[in-house]
Amino acid sequence: MGMTTHGVSIQEEMASTVQLDRRSSRDGGQPSDGHAVVLKAEAVSKTFAGVTALRDVDFDLRSGEVHALMGENGAGKSTLMKILAGVHVDYDGEIRIEDTPVRFSGVQDAERAGVAIIHQELNLVPELTAAENIFLGREPLILGTLVDHRRIVKAASALLKRLGIEIDAQRRIAELRIGEQQLVEIAKALSLDARILIMDEPTSALSTAECDTLFKVVRQLAQAGVAIIYTSHRLDEVLALANRVTVLRDGQPVLTAPIEGLSQGAIISAMVGREVTLTRRDSVARWGAPVLSVRDLTLDKVSSRGWRRVLQGVSFDVRPGEILGIGGLLGSGRTEILESVFGVARGWRDGEIAIDGEAVSINSAADACRLGVALVTEDRKALGLHISSTIRDNVALPSVGAASRFGVRGFAREAELATEMVEKLAVRCYGIDQIVATLSGGNQQKVAIGKWLATAPRVLLLDEPTRGIDVGAKQEIYQLIFGLAAEGLAIVVVTSEMPELLLLSDRVLVMCEGRQTGVLSGAEATQEAIMRLAAPGMSERVAP
Amino acid sequence: MIVLRILSRTKLYWGLAIICLIGALASPHTSSGRNIFLSFNNLTDVLRQVSITGLVATGMTLVILLGGIDLSVGSVMGFSTIICAMLLSQPGWTPASIVAVPAASIAAGLGVGFLTRFVFHGLARGRDVDAGRRNEIASGPWRSIRIPALLGLVCGGAVAVATASQVSTKFGVVAVLLVTPCVALALGAINGALIVAGRLQPFIATLAMMVSALGLGRLTAGQDNAVIAVYTGTNATQAFEVLRSMVWGILPMPSVFFLAAILIFGAVLRFTTFGRYIYAIGGNPEAAKLSGIKVAEVQLAAYMISGLLAGLAGVLFVAQYRQGKPDAGSGLELDAIAAVVIGGTSLMGGRGGLAGTFVGVLIFGLLSDILQLQNIDSNVQLLMKGLIIVGTVLVQEQNLGQLLTRWRGQAPLPPPTRTGSVEAYRPPSVVTKSAAREDIHEAS
Repeated sequence: MGMTTHGVSIQEEMASTVQLDRRSSRDGGQPSDGHAVVLKAEAVSKTFAGVTALRDVDFDLRSGEVHALMGENGAGKSTLMKILAGVHVDYDGEIRIEDTPVRFSGVQDAERAGVAIIHQELNLVPELTAAENIFLGREPLILGTLVDHRRIVKAASALLKRLGIEIDAQRRIAELRIGEQQLVEIAKALSLDARILIMDEPTSALSTAECDTLFKVVRQLAQAGVAIIYTSHRLDEVLALANRVTVLRDGQPVLTAPIEGLSQGAIISAMVGREVTLTRRDSVARWGAPVLSVRDLTLDKVSSRGWRRVLQGVSFDVRPGEILGIGGLLGSGRTEILESVFGVARGWRDGEIAIDGEAVSINSAADACRLGVALVTEDRKALGLHISSTIRDNVALPSVGAASRFGVRGFAREAELATEMVEKLAVRCYGIDQIVATLSGGNQQKVAIGKWLATAPRVLLLDEPTRGIDVGAKQEIYQLIFGLAAEGLAIVVVTSEMPELLLLSDRVLVMCEGRQTGVLSGAEATQEAIMRLAAPGMSERVAP
Repeated sequence: MIVLRILSRTKLYWGLAIICLIGALASPHTSSGRNIFLSFNNLTDVLRQVSITGLVATGMTLVILLGGIDLSVGSVMGFSTIICAMLLSQPGWTPASIVAVPAASIAAGLGVGFLTRFVFHGLARGRDVDAGRRNEIASGPWRSIRIPALLGLVCGGAVAVATASQVSTKFGVVAVLLVTPCVALALGAINGALIVAGRLQPFIATLAMMVSALGLGRLTAGQDNAVIAVYTGTNATQAFEVLRSMVWGILPMPSVFFLAAILIFGAVLRFTTFGRYIYAIGGNPEAAKLSGIKVAEVQLAAYMISGLLAGLAGVLFVAQYRQGKPDAGSGLELDAIAAVVIGGTSLMGGRGGLAGTFVGVLIFGLLSDILQLQNIDSNVQLLMKGLIIVGTVLVQEQNLGQLLTRWRGQAPLPPPTRTGSVEAYRPPSVVTKSAAREDIHEAS
């Protein structure tokens, strides 16, 4: 019973403060074996409009375990999770929860059976408080009419406290950071009395510190007997967190094994179906004069508490053919550097930017574009691409003006550019008229890069170029970046992933709390050296 | 499948055809047994009636494609009728001419200035592209500010002199046709400036203009609800009658303007960078901005065009009804929006086009014609219009299919997926919205 006491006590706490509709019969009679199978899927298949997404998948989940579900994009892990969570209801095969066959009629039905899913895109209402979100749609009422705010806050606070989360339940979601919002989602799932928690890429938007908090909560839940299905693209965190892993490839499970004894390479090979090696660029040519020089860049932003300095005294040069990596924790000002150089940072900017040694003023994306500076944004769906337009329209968009004459579009030139980029970047598509939203993440990213390559830039700024992209495609993007550098492009890369930073960068600029704490050359740049400079309060070094 | 897809893609035109069919079948007949609905006079009358709404709807389409809305067009049109009617019928420095002369001069000056710059920019750009270098175009004297500004000043001055000299007499047809839309363009520019520089929401900025332009119209006219009559041949020039005439005996003059506007702006949307930018901004304003599009300039231009066309509609109104009045366009903005929406243009922006708007305007026009021929009460007509809006939009947005599946008790749409590439694609705007709503419901 030791495994479940925590979970039960949360439920009791909840029950004592808030009336929740749930099956009380479940609170007793849990199997004493902590590793009992709570969920079993047998021969589950699913097709979408004739395309097989899952084929005869067997999957089992034990209480108290973190079960990682891995696979490349399109391998079927989302589909499997959605079937288990009652999102997809028409499938073949059988799902049993504690040996009882179930067939959910919808998400609500699954929640009643104790299965909750946390989607990658969080489903919280930004303008409501954390507490209100947790009890959204199930608010306890006074006299059956008025929402009992005090009880909501009390119950939510108790729940958050039990989870060891230090979030004020009365704060609005919009004021919370992504990581905190994620934790609120977890609290919400648990308030629904979930024993099976499905987490879809929970860390994709989190900083290292936030990830650590999340992992702590996840481990704690597992100890309390909650069974967790977990997906992530980050192998290191899966290795650190999961007890078992199931790898899907092309809709079929190719590997199910305890995490002990599995290497990163073994999982990747299982996912990709072939050997993948991450290789650093061999030799670096001699660079010429800097294309982009930034001196004493500062940026002040207006926040709720007045002006806040987000960048202070950032200076660097990038030469043709060079890849400058920018490392640092989330919120250290990495993205702001790129935005400032590209002329779209919100706030008050100061400092000098020179292209080819000539001081320029870049105050809009149009200026940057004219001067040959290109920015591939972090959030390619919201900021980088017109997701429901065609590849042709997306690639041509920044070049529409250049391809036109007297304002009349040069359709032939636009198509030529799009075709050129699709070929050059090896975008896998039916043709340039395919809708971008139907492409995989890696190919979307290629389109986002191609869109800017079509403007013939000299400086390419890349913000998190491989976010949300699977392992195989990542490697392609790396090769692509190396290729562009070899062609003489000056490249600045911001990335949260340390291996990626080390792999790509010729030099690494490290940021900490808006200040530049160091520039490391290739040989100096090690994980340890970068972390020392990036961690607040640890850096004494000044920029060379 | 292919037949179905073609049917679904062209359903708007089928709707138009069905309405025509109903009209022809249900139409009363003359004593000599001729079908009134299909008679030449009836059909040209319909064209004449829809033209004013149609012109306004054309400008509205651009604004809505951009993701905005222009509520002020009705009032701006009303104001334009006042300006037009006063210029035609009252000589001397009336409030109308005091507003109109400077507006026309400024518009002419700016127009010529920008045009010069644009043409020489285009010439130079063409050369640069041929040379294979697209970046960093140096600005020569024609493309810099000096020479275009000089030309603009000269032309603006010329217009000022020409129009001011006409003030002592009454304005002629050409002068009215040029000057009145310029005034409306200026009001549109104010809309645009409020939205671009003042960061007001389009709804609010144009709502304010809607109220203000009505007041401005009444002030200009001199008394509340003033009706300024224009009797061609007596208090205004006989030539103004040309705007009511038939062209080559086939098309009523207003419809020529309407068709021209549809064709011109259809081409603008399809073939020019400006058109491409409108769609790009409407589809995703942030991504458009980060792609180096000058979002503010495009927005400003779209609201100016909307104003311009409303002004033109004002002149045509005066010609058709022989009067100008401040509230001439009351409710017009809603008719225009309805026509745009029926035409399949999304109010979210980025999707749709002028072909749809054209059909939407015709559907409205034919419908009221049919109902009038049947002698149906005008209030019933309003009710029918409302039903038509709901009906067509349900079909347009494929909401009907979703509604039906829900009624049949089937599963709601799955939430948006970032990883699943196997799933059939749906437009993300539809997926995310409804799915997000779904999930809130599910959580309850």
